Amino acid sequence: MNAPAGLDLASLPDRIQSEVQRAIQRSVKGVEYFASSGPSLGSTPKDILNVRGTMNLYHYRPQTDEIYRVPVLIVMATTNRGYILDLVPGQSFIEFLLTRGYDVYMLDWSAPRPEEKKLRMEDYVLDFIPDCVRHVQQDSGETDVSVIGYCFGGVLSLLYGSIFHDGPMKNLICFTTPIDFREMKLFSNFSDRRYFDVDHLVDSIGNVPPEMILSSFEMLRPASRAASQVQLWENIWNDEYVKSYRMFDRWATDTLPLAGEYFRAITKDLMWDNKLYDGTMSVGGRAADLANIKVPILHAVAEHDHIVPYDAAKHLIPKVGSEDKEEVMLKGGHVSLVAGANAIKRLWPKLDSWLGERST
Amino acid sequence: MADSTSDPLALWQKMIGEMEKGFNAFANQAMSSPQFSKAMNQASGATAGAQRQLSDLMEKYLLTMNLPSRAQMVGMSERLQSIEGQLNEIKALLLQMNAMSGITRDSIAATPRPPRTKRPPPASPGAQK
Repeated sequence: MNAPAGLDLASLPDRIQSEVQRAIQRSVKGVEYFASSGPSLGSTPKDILNVRGTMNLYHYRPQTDEIYRVPVLIVMATTNRGYILDLVPGQSFIEFLLTRGYDVYMLDWSAPRPEEKKLRMEDYVLDFIPDCVRHVQQDSGETDVSVIGYCFGGVLSLLYGSIFHDGPMKNLICFTTPIDFREMKLFSNFSDRRYFDVDHLVDSIGNVPPEMILSSFEMLRPASRAASQVQLWENIWNDEYVKSYRMFDRWATDTLPLAGEYFRAITKDLMWDNKLYDGTMSVGGRAADLANIKVPILHAVAEHDHIVPYDAAKHLIPKVGSEDKEEVMLKGGHVSLVAGANAIKRLWPKLDSWLGERST
Repeated sequence: MADSTSDPLALWQKMIGEMEKGFNAFANQAMSSPQFSKAMNQASGATAGAQRQLSDLMEKYLLTMNLPSRAQMVGMSERLQSIEGQLNEIKALLLQMNAMSGITRDSIAATPRPPRTKRPPPASPGAQK
């Protein structure tokens, strides 16, 4: 009987032996997986500068002998925890910035409490961000501040920058930031105004629960969770794979609830009326036109972003009023753009070279 | 090294990858329809309504059991929040007083901040911006 084309019979015993060893390793490591906790995340040394309900402002301790003049404030997305940017040593964006000589602050969010269901877009854009910028100025002794916004943190940073266009924001960097919400096709369909009664939802339950936010993200790729668990089992003998899986899985499922009124405003102003794209957005009666932004701006987008597709993000650079502006498209997805092996090789060095020369 | 056409593990992984892509694409297409949106939102609307009714019922039940109601717990949480706020104000005031007396946060921590003198490294020849 002939071997099938391409099958190397000579290597078959080695292959079988290797697979048997892996099967044993899977059983051993599989038990370890359930018996142990995951890696400790977000452990770069930091101090709390300001806490007010859902708002947390951290300052990371500098790690170099001299730092750039302009401090950096990172504004995290309101749906997720900021430790995605500070996973573990060697895979931490924060640590990377610190070792490159930046003075780093982060505006991170904790779950809004039931009584914070009344927080509006105004509270985030006209209160929380300006308050944090003031604390950064006070703590650093510098007037200028560079802002980095990730995903919806980018939207909040844009709204802030377009309203407070006279300063003190010196540079703006956005990661995977949506502008045209109609192009977020599935989210747009989920929140179709003919069927989605956002008033009923918010009036009934107050804050939008994290399970609902997580489900809407997972529905974008409904088979991926099951497939990733199959891949985990296949690679459970590989400590590095398991460590990486646990970090990202923990972060992805650690979704935050959204304050009810804030969610109502996002749905009506952005998902339904697409006001940021149309240039009609206002917050607390103050016009938030992207054309008002004149500071240097870098927008990093991911080639395979299934949450914020390129068609939703591509309008940012044409719409801002800055002369010094750049869009960079990098390989990766919505999360791997900013964290993980891809980010270390691609985004972080690009950001460092762009921001360094604008931070003196 | 066995090529991917003869490696059963590679074939299995490829099959899983293709199945994932195929199912995701199929589901995305199905979820793009207005009918899906309608059905999904009817279901979640009913859930939200039920959740509210359950919440009201629980409130009455807790009252009967002489246990603190949600509103009372929220009230306590608000008081705690107010205490937290006042602590933050006291902290800020102490820092201000320290600053006025010449003692800075850095000197308290005995870790002076590095000077803000860093310059970007010179671009290597031929490097693209």
